[in-house]
Amino acid sequence: MIIEVKNLKKTYEGKVPTHALKNINFNIKKGEFIALMGRSGSGKSTLLHQLGLLDRPSAGKIMIDGTNLMSFSKEQGSKFRLEKLGYVFQSYALLPELTALESVYLPLMLSNIDKKIYIKTASEMLKKVGLGNKLHNLPRELSGGEQQRVAIARALVNNPIILFADEPTANLDSESSKVILELFKKLNKEINQTIIMVTHEPDDKKYVDRVIWLKDGEIQEED
Amino acid sequence: MNIKTAFFLAFTSLKRGNKGTLAMTILIMTLAYINIVFISSVFGGIVDAINTQSIDNQYSNIVIEPEIDEKYITNTRAINSIKTIPGVIGVSAHYIDKPFVKYDERKDNKDVKTGNWVLKSIDVADEKKVTKIHEAIVAGSYLEDNDRDQIIIGREVAGNYGGSLRHLSLNVLIGDEIDLSFKNGIKRTYTVKGIFGTKSTSVDQMLFITKKEMESVLNVHNLASEVLIKIEDTGNEDYYINEIRHLGLVHEDIKKWSDLMGFTSSASMSFAMISIILGVIGTIVAGVTIFIIIFVSVVNKRRQIGILKAIGMGDNTIILYFVIQALFYGIVGVILGASFILFVLRPYFMSNPLDFPVGWVSLKVTFDIIRISNISLITAALIGGFFPAYRGAKESILKSIWG
Repeated sequence: MIIEVKNLKKTYEGKVPTHALKNINFNIKKGEFIALMGRSGSGKSTLLHQLGLLDRPSAGKIMIDGTNLMSFSKEQGSKFRLEKLGYVFQSYALLPELTALESVYLPLMLSNIDKKIYIKTASEMLKKVGLGNKLHNLPRELSGGEQQRVAIARALVNNPIILFADEPTANLDSESSKVILELFKKLNKEINQTIIMVTHEPDDKKYVDRVIWLKDGEIQEED
Repeated sequence: MNIKTAFFLAFTSLKRGNKGTLAMTILIMTLAYINIVFISSVFGGIVDAINTQSIDNQYSNIVIEPEIDEKYITNTRAINSIKTIPGVIGVSAHYIDKPFVKYDERKDNKDVKTGNWVLKSIDVADEKKVTKIHEAIVAGSYLEDNDRDQIIIGREVAGNYGGSLRHLSLNVLIGDEIDLSFKNGIKRTYTVKGIFGTKSTSVDQMLFITKKEMESVLNVHNLASEVLIKIEDTGNEDYYINEIRHLGLVHEDIKKWSDLMGFTSSASMSFAMISIILGVIGTIVAGVTIFIIIFVSVVNKRRQIGILKAIGMGDNTIILYFVIQALFYGIVGVILGASFILFVLRPYFMSNPLDFPVGWVSLKVTFDIIRISNISLITAALIGGFFPAYRGAKESILKSIWG
């Protein structure tokens, strides 16, 4: 198993505590393409944040590739995210001053890889997502779909064991959305990339291996 | 911490960010630097002018006065030997009296102007080596060794040559005769040969006659009420005082010019204090400016900071990313500010010094002022950049990205 989740809980403290996740248990195998679905407020994004180490659960256990995430310090978490995980966010989340190539090689630079290698690797990754001719374009010179593909290239450039995508097509037109989802499917099939994607589009089910449905912070069903 | 990535992001941000903001920030830093250095340098220039005036026209470097309860310095042999000390440029002995001075323009005892001023006698050749009063003649001419019934007077005594105490003056012109009643009762009449105007009010309230004339009035020979000594290396007076003591002037009162400054010394300290206060305020303003600029930048890039953290960038690298930008603003401000001060303002004020009552004031830009200003501004930039960056970097990822 690449991910094992046991008795995961997330409660937001306050005058009236909000139980965003209640006793979540599931496993994900390597190479699976999973969709987390549910209504707004069901806890799907919250679950993705806990799995991706962007937030800390209140209780329970998350194991990724045999490593217990709960024992991580802040610095260990940063290192794990850099080396093992990739993220694609809802809105493209690129730095406006960086070109497509610079955005993609940034994680490699953080990993202290040699300059020649990181430029070559990032260029190849951009070619893979169909942007080999836009290496030196700034985000403002790219369409929404192209920016999201740069974000995907950045997420994949460190060869993450899991790619997390939080509603990656929410801000895109249907044509661009299709391109992105087909790219995910292709990556999943060709390089056996494990992908966990939050989506609210029922049509997206056709791209994934399995859907985990959430309702009120609990897993309602898996199909 | 990944220093390379922090530098990369900082300089990419500076290079491709808003050029107007960049130019404005650098301009503010440059002006803040000029403000700190300029104020200190002007005050330094004023203090320098005061000191130069005192050395050039009043005290020279070292003043020897008689021992307590004595009227004159009597060790003539030792005084004459001072000239032999290497580094001594000149020695000038003065007799001092404070006569009652009278000017009766129409010789009819009506509308008579009177006053008491300090009268000193000089050996003309010796005096020219220790003071610059001979260069400050504004009317008539300087004394010559053989002058007996001639006198030169300061413009505050004369009253017609730009002095500030005209209401107390004699209102005389070159060629007018004035009557002096000495402390010993002798009365003599002198013709005004020259009028001098230094930038020192106290010097411009003095009168000078020749040594021979004064000795005939006081009936003394080869003594001195005070001796002024000019040395070639101002600031090294203690060494010469020690040498002078070794010549046998043990009980005489020997002082360096700075000990005699009195009011001007306290004014110098006040200027230094004002300079420090304004410097500190200028530095704080620069620090707060950087703080605001970085704070706005951090707020605007809050989401980007969250993204950078999400992809694995550590907090310290993010802090460094913003601190480098702040340091860049500070360092460029220092370079441009220092260049402007050294290559524009300083040469300008050297050619066009400011006319202050204490003298001609130029900018005194010292290495210390530059060094302290550099350190102050860069430290202000460092602190001003660090705190907003720290606050931004320590925010949780989710809060940074989604607010």
